[in-house]
Amino acid sequence: MSVATQQVDFNAMSDEAFRAEAREFFEKDYPEDLRFMPRRLTWGESKDWWIKLSKKGWLAPNWPVEHGGMGLDPGKLIIYWEETERAGIGRMPDQGVTMVGPTLIRFGNDAQRAHYLPKILSGDNVWCQGYSEPNAGSDLASLRTEAVLDGDHYVINGSKIWTSMAHHATNIYVLVRTDKTVKQQRGISFLLVDMKTPGITLRPIRNIAGGEEFCQVFFDNVRTHKDNLVGKINEGWTIAKGLLTFERLNIGSPRRPLQAFEQLDPLARAQGLFNDQGFVDRYTQLKMDLNDLGSLYQRYVDKARRGEALGPDISMLKVFAMDTYQKLAELLLEAGAEYGAYADEITLGDSKIDLMTPFYTSRPGTIYGGSNEIQRNILSKYVLQLPS
Amino acid sequence: MSQQDSTEHQEMLSNSVTDFARGVDVARVRKLSETKTECDRTKWTEMADLGWLGVLAPEQYGGMGLKLADMAIVAQGLARALMPEPLTAVAVLASRVLADSNNESLKRKLLAGLVSGDMLPAVAWQEEAGTLDVGKIKMQATPFEGGFRVTGSKRFIIGATNADGYIVSANSAQGMQLLWVPRDAAGATVEFNTLADGRQSGTLKLSDVNVPKENVINSGDVAAKSLARAIDHTAVIASAELCGIMGRSLEMTLEYLKTRVQFGKPIGSFQALQHRAVDLYIQQELSSAVLNDCLGVLDGVDGGEPDDKARMAAASRAKARCTDAALLITRQAIQMHGAIGFTEDCDVGLYVKRAMTLAAWLGNGNAHRRRYARTEILEGVQT
Repeated sequence: MSVATQQVDFNAMSDEAFRAEAREFFEKDYPEDLRFMPRRLTWGESKDWWIKLSKKGWLAPNWPVEHGGMGLDPGKLIIYWEETERAGIGRMPDQGVTMVGPTLIRFGNDAQRAHYLPKILSGDNVWCQGYSEPNAGSDLASLRTEAVLDGDHYVINGSKIWTSMAHHATNIYVLVRTDKTVKQQRGISFLLVDMKTPGITLRPIRNIAGGEEFCQVFFDNVRTHKDNLVGKINEGWTIAKGLLTFERLNIGSPRRPLQAFEQLDPLARAQGLFNDQGFVDRYTQLKMDLNDLGSLYQRYVDKARRGEALGPDISMLKVFAMDTYQKLAELLLEAGAEYGAYADEITLGDSKIDLMTPFYTSRPGTIYGGSNEIQRNILSKYVLQLPS
Repeated sequence: MSQQDSTEHQEMLSNSVTDFARGVDVARVRKLSETKTECDRTKWTEMADLGWLGVLAPEQYGGMGLKLADMAIVAQGLARALMPEPLTAVAVLASRVLADSNNESLKRKLLAGLVSGDMLPAVAWQEEAGTLDVGKIKMQATPFEGGFRVTGSKRFIIGATNADGYIVSANSAQGMQLLWVPRDAAGATVEFNTLADGRQSGTLKLSDVNVPKENVINSGDVAAKSLARAIDHTAVIASAELCGIMGRSLEMTLEYLKTRVQFGKPIGSFQALQHRAVDLYIQQELSSAVLNDCLGVLDGVDGGEPDDKARMAAASRAKARCTDAALLITRQAIQMHGAIGFTEDCDVGLYVKRAMTLAAWLGNGNAHRRRYARTEILEGVQT
């Protein structure tokens, strides 16, 4: 399949015009039955939309135009995200677009870009991430999955865990140990591996919500060609760290908790809770917290729009957003009283309310992408500059 | 005013406040807090000369006609330095109420005098604790010889100790009257209660006080609306003061965490304290983001003067967040300084006490959350 060749300078459009175009496209073309899904989409569910985005040239809003992306500046990219959220577009197995593409564009070589980028855009390659290990979670730099050069190949042994959607992926990018004699962070490399390579086995992990989004991935003498090393040997840590800041802006958006909040309203009405001052006080506090999160988020959006770099202080956005999201999900369950233990959707009057899903969705938010405790460590060290 | 002009004004104000606050000695603040006044008239005149009392007032009365966002810079900077003078009560609350008046000759005297520092008017609107409703008053104004005869009492007056007179609200057959009562008016007495930070809260009693019609500031619906708006604007500038208080307080705590050594290490290396400090920092940043947004709403940055509902929501968001954050940050400052933080010698306590008086003034966190709930949430949903 060929990648869209139409070249539009989106950044030259007015914000309003770009927003209108994105809104119309997302409203008209995204499959209705996949809107506002409370979980990530599988590859099977995502594929048609992926191809549709790709044909329009809208799959990779964050990539430069010369690599098949939309080349959006930060302001337009934020509008793209906002419209995605507004339309309730599901999270696809998008690691290829969000992580691999930007990594290869910034740190890879021409051959890697020529080989992999078109395959991401066409949907032929679906990527998953191999960072965490059973003994390297928050302390990621202590990872022990090892790669040793043997002729033209790296031989990988070890295992990766919490790999989302690994069972749907064709490729995995992994952080591996390539030097055990130096400081932990300096002996890590970034490798690309085909999931069909002999020696890879998967164990799906069922989470407490009953879903199987995660896998553990085992590597037993898995060989990947040395051309699949991204950047220089032992520079993997720098590569992995370089990409996360801007993504934290998206994680801190108040829209997702706001959607959960909208469920609270019909429930509270049906239960007559707005006559209960104790409930009203907590509801009000959370609503004000959400609005205040909106103010904080907007401050970072404005900063990104002005083209300023986002520093480590953006971690506070994730901490407050996810803490607030959890409190909200908890209040939803409490407001449900006896219904608060129902595993499935409940029917109250005319509305169907799913009390449990926001709870399950909100829990890992304070864990993935650096737990809230790790974010507090980052803020303490790099922003408040407290001693270690 | 253009965006650039506005930024320039703000930079100038910010610089002048920083210069002034650098010369502020905490010893003076402590000394004033032990007296029955919080206002040093020499300082007050200096502040007037720097233009701060007239930041909001229109130019024809000697003011600068700037925005609340500009006033916030001054208030925040002076609060950082713990200035006890009633800047916000006078230069925002009284200034706003007077600016809405059509009584030109009174305005010439009071508003121009306020700006020059010669006249210090205190607004006396509140009678009961725990309400932000300007209509909840009993003070009565009865028509008398072309003016009014006024009886009743007012509480929680800030700036009363040095006031040259009071702007009082009273009920009459024609609705609310906003009236000017000089300090020495026959039948007016004032008493004081000392607040946590040593400043004074005034209680004004009026017994058959004659107010000539020349001293009527505003009447009827216009008066009530003007007062309600002025109170919301003042609550937001008080929020800016709270930001100044929490900012300096957190700075002191962070300094202490970096220098105080126990168990052979700076205590700031302990994760329990690091994470708590981060949570305080997040509250500070939230406060400043909310304050800026709310100043934008009140200043009508997008789309002009907000309607009553939008104005009240913005003021309540700012006052609730900034109050809660300032109380948390200043109280944690005591804890993280340990025993020394609880001593009179340590400046930490001065910030704790100022936070408390600002928190209680014009609606604390709870009062503003409840008001927000009434106007933004409960309408139509209660059965």
